[in-house]
Amino acid sequence: MPKDKLKFALFLGCVIPNRYPMIERATRSVFEKFNIELIDMEGASCCPAPGVFRGFDIDTWLVVGARNITIAEELGVDIALMCNGCYGSLLEVNHTLKNDKKKLKMVNEHLAKIGREFKGTSEIRHVVDILYHDVGVQTIQNRTKYGRKPPLHLKLALHYGCHLLKPSETRPWDQKVEKPTFFDELVEVSGCKSIDYKDKFLCCGAGGGVRGAFKELSLDYTREKLENISDSGAEVIITACPFCHLQLDLGQLEVNNLFKDKISKQFKIPVLYFTQLLGLALGMSKEELGLVRSPDLKGVPPFTPLRPVLKKIGEAT
Amino acid sequence: MVETEIKLTGRETPKIGVYVCWCGINIGGVVDVPKLCEYSMTLPNVVLASEYKFMCSDIGQNMIMEDIREGKINRVVVASCSPRMHEQTFRRACSDAGLNQFLFEQANIREHCTWVSMNDVPGATKIAQDHIRMAVAKVSVLQPLEVTTVDVEPSCLVVGAGIAGINAALDLGNSGYKVYLVEKNPTVGGHMAQLDKTFPTMDCSSCITTPKMSEVSRNQNIELMTYSEVVSLDGYVGNFQAKIKKKPHYIDQDLCTGCGQCAEVCPVECANEFDLGMKPRKAAYISFPQAVPGQYTIDMDHCIKCGICEEECPTKAIKYNDKPEYVDVKVGTIILATGWDPYDATRMEQYGFGRYPNVIMALQMERLLSSFGPTGGKVKRPSDLKEPESIVFIQCVGSREFTGKGRKYCSRVCCMYATKQARSYKEKHPHARIYIFYIDIRAFGKGYEEFYHDAGMNYGINFIRGRVSELYENENHDLIVRAEDTLLQRQIELKVDMVILSIGLEPQSDIDDIARIFNVTATKTEDGFLMEAHPKLRPVDTLTDGIFVAGTVQGPKDIPDTVAQAKAAASSAATLMAKGQVEIEPYFAKVLDFKCAGCKSCISLCAYKAITFNEYERVAEISEILCKGCGTCVAACPSKAIVQNHFGDAQILPMIKSAIPKELKARGSEN
Amino acid sequence: MSSQELFDPYILGIFCNWCSYAGADGAGTSRMQRPANFRIIRVMCGGRMDPQFVVNALLNGADGVIISHCHPGDCHYVEGNLKTIRKMPILQLYLKQFGINPKRAKYIFISASEGVQLTEIAKQYVEELRELGPNPIRGGN
Repeated sequence: MPKDKLKFALFLGCVIPNRYPMIERATRSVFEKFNIELIDMEGASCCPAPGVFRGFDIDTWLVVGARNITIAEELGVDIALMCNGCYGSLLEVNHTLKNDKKKLKMVNEHLAKIGREFKGTSEIRHVVDILYHDVGVQTIQNRTKYGRKPPLHLKLALHYGCHLLKPSETRPWDQKVEKPTFFDELVEVSGCKSIDYKDKFLCCGAGGGVRGAFKELSLDYTREKLENISDSGAEVIITACPFCHLQLDLGQLEVNNLFKDKISKQFKIPVLYFTQLLGLALGMSKEELGLVRSPDLKGVPPFTPLRPVLKKIGEAT
Repeated sequence: MVETEIKLTGRETPKIGVYVCWCGINIGGVVDVPKLCEYSMTLPNVVLASEYKFMCSDIGQNMIMEDIREGKINRVVVASCSPRMHEQTFRRACSDAGLNQFLFEQANIREHCTWVSMNDVPGATKIAQDHIRMAVAKVSVLQPLEVTTVDVEPSCLVVGAGIAGINAALDLGNSGYKVYLVEKNPTVGGHMAQLDKTFPTMDCSSCITTPKMSEVSRNQNIELMTYSEVVSLDGYVGNFQAKIKKKPHYIDQDLCTGCGQCAEVCPVECANEFDLGMKPRKAAYISFPQAVPGQYTIDMDHCIKCGICEEECPTKAIKYNDKPEYVDVKVGTIILATGWDPYDATRMEQYGFGRYPNVIMALQMERLLSSFGPTGGKVKRPSDLKEPESIVFIQCVGSREFTGKGRKYCSRVCCMYATKQARSYKEKHPHARIYIFYIDIRAFGKGYEEFYHDAGMNYGINFIRGRVSELYENENHDLIVRAEDTLLQRQIELKVDMVILSIGLEPQSDIDDIARIFNVTATKTEDGFLMEAHPKLRPVDTLTDGIFVAGTVQGPKDIPDTVAQAKAAASSAATLMAKGQVEIEPYFAKVLDFKCAGCKSCISLCAYKAITFNEYERVAEISEILCKGCGTCVAACPSKAIVQNHFGDAQILPMIKSAIPKELKARGSEN
Repeated sequence: MSSQELFDPYILGIFCNWCSYAGADGAGTSRMQRPANFRIIRVMCGGRMDPQFVVNALLNGADGVIISHCHPGDCHYVEGNLKTIRKMPILQLYLKQFGINPKRAKYIFISASEGVQLTEIAKQYVEELRELGPNPIRGGN
């Protein structure tokens, strides 16, 4: 029996439109395959960034976040988003305003000046959450059967990121955040295997304003992560957040440069956003998923060459 | 001492004496006590108002008694702590002075007033005045009543035959009382039978438990019912009726000699709960060699009914068509000693219990250390049966946990049992490296601190203050443990052969069912254990008269404290049974037959079946013995034909009417 | 608006002896502070709660009545609290017909160890009644 079509307002954030538009492209393609409608949010701004904005002034962070949520409330739908940072920010703004009457009053006083009102009628969902809970691993598995034959056989190093999991009370993962497996289950429908590596849940180093203020420190985290991933024998890194993606992709080049005396060899591990991998498993083309880079363009992603992975998949088909 | 009983018909003009207690500074430090006395004098029927620092003391009580003896008052109101604290005290004072003890009312101006509004003096004063006014209104219409005495059956039901239940049963049995000892497992002994050695004396646990186990099975006054559960309870203190279900053993317990043939030939293997799944047992089994009783049982969940044991049994004891047997017993007192369950360590995902084979929990370590355990007393790690050369103990797993994954309380025994297990292992393997990661070491009991000191100084056990953040294993199933040494302020990463989780003690999973059957409130907070009547002064009583608690069912504790509580519970039960009689408060309800319309609405409402319908007179009748005084029928009767002693409409409505101060009443309203 | 700030609701409590009164005692012993608006009457069981107590209290000028008993399944007298659960919705309907806001009769479950919860509920109820205003008998809502 056909269910009511799922509909969400797609919140883009900053990194995706400015740096990695192919993540949006891949996500839209995958969602279309499952008949989920994604509406544009006119006038959406920066979420605002949870580390920087909330670190400076909580009230400002609440008001700016609430404004973004009201756009979806007016459209009468929940928000779907692709970035851990935006997720952490908007989810916690939503939760705070639903539970703290004083803050709600303060926010609505400010929003009234621009003719808006936060009502608390929209939920905030990460695309991993939507695909895992609403669509379901089984459904996606069934579809991938008809997508790509034979299935992909890559060895993946999954990077969950931080805000996807914690603080655990407001996340939809049943408090199981010390050794979660939901992202692995979701991505393994592609036929690939998720490899366990040392300190899998270590932060990429980008968030919390660290990349902005202490770039070398953030790259040190990335270096450690890349070393562990490289030691595990994984072939591709899979992310669920464009900022982590940036840190592990562009960051990889930066690490190779900054730590060239410390590391034993230069890192060359391709990085994919998980919907790009799912798209491949569902039989979409690499052009459609933004996996091919025009040789004329300089300074645009993907930074770490994807050729090795594409070759492997090309061999598989 | 009752002098001349003052005869009151309840129709004299009430002469009320109000006594306001300072309770030190608890009341006096917040409200103006003398002013409250002045206020009391303005209330109707109040003839005197006094105050004293501690009304519950001898001097305070004497004040009341003298005023009664001099005939100044015939009703008493004490404005002080909660009636649940001292109602009995003051009632006794009244009756000693010759006044019927039910002409007393206590106004709670401490727990419900000064203690909850410490900084709001005008607010607290208003509430104190209101409570006093309400108590005065109620006491004006109270009737003199007599307590009912009922006989106490000289027998006791002890639920649970661990070390607590066994000790309580033995004490009572040896005092000459009949004891029904009910245990849900096929053997007695509880968790203590699973332990190897006990701290701090390093006594062998079996050596001290097994003599008691066999004593309890041989005592003439103790009827031991193992593999049984209490399914329902009726009655009240002194007269409980319990229904006990004896689960089917599928082996005739009278014919079984304990030879073990059935187990030898049984083809089915399943996990042995006694060894926490580390050793198999057969479907026909006995929990451990020294089990009492020594008869075998068949676990029907796993039995395939192949019939081999039936053929082999020399006494033809196997009965596949065994059925549960229900027994009714009548007892005067009950002791609940049902024990604890270990915390489920899989909930702490970062410690890998259930995922990594060489991470085990403390009770499993006890079985490994035990000479009749799965490895015959040699501790071997599960993955390759190698004897570990390095072990990490992680303390406070599931205890002192504020994240919701465990319990907030400290389980009291884990610091000591980890030290004990570490010491036991070191005695056999002096070169092993053992690390205990702790938050605090709680070595509070007799000989405990010396034991811990010895373990560190002479046995070379490393105590490191810091929590383990996570651990993971390598291809060899060794464990890499990551922790912080907070005293040296550095991070540690250790590779060890085995990790032991010091799990906390939790209430049993069926504790809510026990609380419901026995009508004892299970605390609903994180604690989850059965609640004692008063944490300091009544540690083994429950709020239900005649039912006592002993051991870990009331909270985590070590063996000395458990045995002490068991003896205390036995003593309390014996006191009740020795007296032979118990007084019951006469709060029961009565039907005024001239008002009863015979509608029968009340009959189905009574949970105690105390109301019957008199077909001849066509009115309802209430049995005083069965009525518990809940008042449900009083509230429900459409004709208001049912009245209740002490809590009737005649008493409560005046309280409500007087509760609202005049200035708040509706304009023009007279009542 | 300013008169509402000064309005101190007068709240009467009807608590059962075994659970809720003990819970309130527990809150007192732990010194959990709450606004000084509550007067508490002790009954032995929730089943004793007669709707006429509530009506009497409200018609006499109380701003709110809070009835507190054991959790379902835990009644010391087996089922008394269940009988009261049945009476409450009808009582609240009845109050509405009198023109009294049914929120003025509140029914909660507090066990002997739930002093914290009681204090939280008490604070919230005082706020709620402040917003509702004084009893209509005295010219409120």
